[in-house]
Amino acid sequence: MPSAKVIKTRIKSVNNTKKITKAMEMVAAAKMRRSVEAVLRTRTYANLSWTTVINLSKAVGAAGSLHPLLTKKEKVRKVAIILLTSNRGLCGGFNSAILKKTHDSVVKHEKNKDGEKIETEIIVVGKKGMGAYSRYGYKVIAEFPKVDIASEALEIRPIASMAVSGYLEGRFDKVMVAFTDFVSASSQAPRIKQLLPVDVVAEKDHYLGVVGRDTRVGLDQEYVKKKEEKYLKEKKDSYTFTFEPSPKEVLDDMVPRLIEIQLFQALLESNASEHSARMTAMHQASESAKDLADRLQLYYNKARQAAITNEIAEISAGANALK
Amino acid sequence: MFENHKIIKFEIVTQERVVMKEMIYQVTVPTKEGEITIMPKHMPLVAILVPGVIEIKKENGEVEIASVSGGFIEVLRNKVVLLADTAERAMDIDEKRAEEARIRATDNLKNIRQFDAEEYASISGAIAKELARTKAVIKWKKIRKP
Repeated sequence: MPSAKVIKTRIKSVNNTKKITKAMEMVAAAKMRRSVEAVLRTRTYANLSWTTVINLSKAVGAAGSLHPLLTKKEKVRKVAIILLTSNRGLCGGFNSAILKKTHDSVVKHEKNKDGEKIETEIIVVGKKGMGAYSRYGYKVIAEFPKVDIASEALEIRPIASMAVSGYLEGRFDKVMVAFTDFVSASSQAPRIKQLLPVDVVAEKDHYLGVVGRDTRVGLDQEYVKKKEEKYLKEKKDSYTFTFEPSPKEVLDDMVPRLIEIQLFQALLESNASEHSARMTAMHQASESAKDLADRLQLYYNKARQAAITNEIAEISAGANALK
Repeated sequence: MFENHKIIKFEIVTQERVVMKEMIYQVTVPTKEGEITIMPKHMPLVAILVPGVIEIKKENGEVEIASVSGGFIEVLRNKVVLLADTAERAMDIDEKRAEEARIRATDNLKNIRQFDAEEYASISGAIAKELARTKAVIKWKKIRKP
């Protein structure tokens, strides 16, 4: 058994670690609260721009051709995935979960309808995203720094414009975004959503963020439905918008913004998830540090007692020898 | 079509937050086609905004001024939503700092050595935005101290 002194040092170091993890937990909790607020704040804009684009594409679609960002490519050969990861570790399985999800999805959609192989390229956001290359060997075409507290949609503009220009120039036939959906403080789910082409007539699952039961992010289907009923229908007559200068021009302006806001939301979601994942991880770390310290304290007590017993035995043996 | 709408629900939202949410009588906004005023019973409309000043007449008769740097306006049956790139209420803008920012933006243009279309566009966008802010503040002051 190690000596009491050794154990004492150990206890001290464990307690110090506990203090650190506790502090990190609290920092993460505060950051999480802020990022969740940010997600909620952007929701209005996201919802409104979605409804406008849907209305617009109805108006334009009837008249003629759609916006290039709204039209699907016939053959999908190249896919770009925008991968949102964290800058720092110590956040549990956050990064590995999103990496694995991305990998699974790539494997699942390896071939297109005609049986041709689909090439996948990754646009990484956040330092930890390079794992996509080092672990799975994907081709990473760009790496963007990630802002931990994103306050402005401006910050994701370069990423959005890269995706848009890549799509328009035909470098990608599809752009997906891989992010971690913030379901609640205790659960986050990695998700992959289609960013481009913008799917205006999608089924339920395709809107960014609206998956499963949780409709707090991205487009709120209920909201759109209600809005149409409330504002666009008078008794049985529904009416259409007038667009100034022209539907096409409005659409040209609106679609890039929609893409931006979607990416921005995905980033905010990821941030909220990252912080809550870190909070949980650090909470667990603090707990196990506490357990360890308690166990070590027992050992220490035993060692101390053993030392005392030993000493007494030695003293009494010495006294006996003098007799 | 909507006989009983005498008041408009008005909202200004940016990507980051909801700037304003009020019940109003009328609003004047700068669009690409020129300045338009929206009153109750306006027909549904979506228009592109240009940087400029928004004038809002509120339910209680007060007039409020805000600046906008571009975006969209969406007119619904009894609701008007402004999807702005950035927007600020004039009461929140500091006049001196707005003026300084405007001068800074203008100076940037002078300092361009090589002509770069993208840079030029971003700088002139910034100038238009700052100009709108200063204008909004000046107008706001005029209204408050006649």
